Amino acid sequence: MSPFLQLAALGVAQGSFLLLASLGFALTRRVEGFLNIAHAQYLSVSAFVTFFLNNTLGLHFAGAALAGVLAAIGVGFLVGKVVFEPIRRLGPAVALITSVGVVYMLEGIIEIAVGTGSFLVTLPRLAPVRVGPVTITFYQVMVVIAALVVTLLTAWYLERTRMGTAIRITSLDRNLGASRGVDVRRASNAAWIVSSALAGIAGVALAVLGALTTTKGFEQILIILAVSLLAGVGSISALAISAFAIGIAREISLLWISAGFRDIIAFGIVILVLIFMPNGIAGRTE
Amino acid sequence: MSPILAALITVGILVGIYGVVAIALNFQYGQAGMINFGVVAYFAIGAYTFAILTAGPPSETALDAYRWGFDVNPLLAALIAGGVGVLFAALSGWPALRLRGEYLALTTFAFAEVLQSLLINVPAVTNGTSGFSNIVQPLRGSVGNYNVFLLLVSLGLLAVTLIIFERLKRSPYGRLLQAIKNDELGVTATGQVPERYRRQVFFLTAFFVALAGVIYVVWLTIARPTSFGAEITFFVWIAMILGGEGNNWRVLAGVLGLTVLDELIGQLPVRSVRGAQMLQAGQVFLTGLLFVLVLRWRQPKAGS
Repeated sequence: MSPFLQLAALGVAQGSFLLLASLGFALTRRVEGFLNIAHAQYLSVSAFVTFFLNNTLGLHFAGAALAGVLAAIGVGFLVGKVVFEPIRRLGPAVALITSVGVVYMLEGIIEIAVGTGSFLVTLPRLAPVRVGPVTITFYQVMVVIAALVVTLLTAWYLERTRMGTAIRITSLDRNLGASRGVDVRRASNAAWIVSSALAGIAGVALAVLGALTTTKGFEQILIILAVSLLAGVGSISALAISAFAIGIAREISLLWISAGFRDIIAFGIVILVLIFMPNGIAGRTE
Repeated sequence: MSPILAALITVGILVGIYGVVAIALNFQYGQAGMINFGVVAYFAIGAYTFAILTAGPPSETALDAYRWGFDVNPLLAALIAGGVGVLFAALSGWPALRLRGEYLALTTFAFAEVLQSLLINVPAVTNGTSGFSNIVQPLRGSVGNYNVFLLLVSLGLLAVTLIIFERLKRSPYGRLLQAIKNDELGVTATGQVPERYRRQVFFLTAFFVALAGVIYVVWLTIARPTSFGAEITFFVWIAMILGGEGNNWRVLAGVLGLTVLDELIGQLPVRSVRGAQMLQAGQVFLTGLLFVLVLRWRQPKAGS
């Protein structure tokens, strides 16, 4: 029973990270109407800015993390405005293909800046947290808490504020919204900022949870895709269920299969969901 | 042989190999409107099928992890590799081709990642991360310069591929595919089944892509999982978009341009490991930038 609970706890931490990583991706998919696979590179941007400021310049981790999130916002917003907005009318397929180009550009920049290899953010050693038979690190607990807080804040922002309402209207029907007096440009800007900020926070989580490589951010893209496709469109709670389900399933599967096959499961989920449940567990269509 | 001539031959071989993949991809995307982000999978299937079929029995001393080597005649192995490519297209196409646009892109992408993961994780068949080395080079002793021979083979396959797909494009069949791309509902209304044609396109292109994969491993003489990542898919995609999808000659020009650029950057002198890293990273950045710029300014019509 003990290894099962232990893996389940690690799965919760993993699921929290996945939730953070896929929230912004799902928001862009909803508002801008395409799958932005460069979203995963925004995680890397934030993770490496955090790493650089924390390890090389010796800034306090909190400050470094904040700068990382701001960097992700800057990059995500700039790319959204300069690259994606002009090609909106060409449809989601062209936008998806373009985002591959963005992946390459950001990967090139990150590798020019830091080189290749493995990077570990130095953090103060804090005692792990023990609950009954389960032991997880302090930083994993922090990621879980951050995911809960950030998700609730995002839900509140989208459901309860004026700008959140504008974003939701923009995602439903841009033209109708504009004709009814919604400032869709501002709403779209706000959505880019929020989704990039979410990517930035996920990037900090990535940096905290383990060693970084320059490709680690992009390696998350398939599992982000798996989470958001399984969730379907338009519901944060479905996204949370799907993130935790995949996170926990991936860890618990270690009881029966070797770690190498874990990713195959995630990819298998992408394929199976697309084929048999194209609308995901939320069951709504775009 | 002078180094410049050797470099030219390398470019020629690669243009032949990537050209075949690009023409196949161009038939899928430019003609039939299918976005395949996993084209490297069919390439890898061809390469590995050839490597496994022609491999000798595993040796204890070399720490081989694979269990079966078949010592099959290379020509037969190449044909079987093409066939296995078609088989894999059937396997992946059956579920994937129900989807359109970006969802087809995702599924094919996921299939390619699954395949690469399997290449690493099923060492009994694929020899794991070390893969196969010393792959058979057929007729090695009996032709003069082997790279010139490979150049001819690769350009020969390119010529055959080009002729077949150019003819198909101009045939009623090609026009039907174009019609499916532009107005699927209209085609369905005439009593045709678009899905059947999409499957056929998948099968046919997979055969040629798998053969290109065979030439690739014969040239490299090694087959490793790392050689078959998404970079190959995106290299061909970028070359295709750079040249101009829909027109095979322009696509080939794109392949030539990108291959020459790659080789030129590879020839630049570097003094340190860090310098080499920077150069490679700069190349990645440049490729991405070109891609974004071309898509922005040429504004293809597909998908709209």
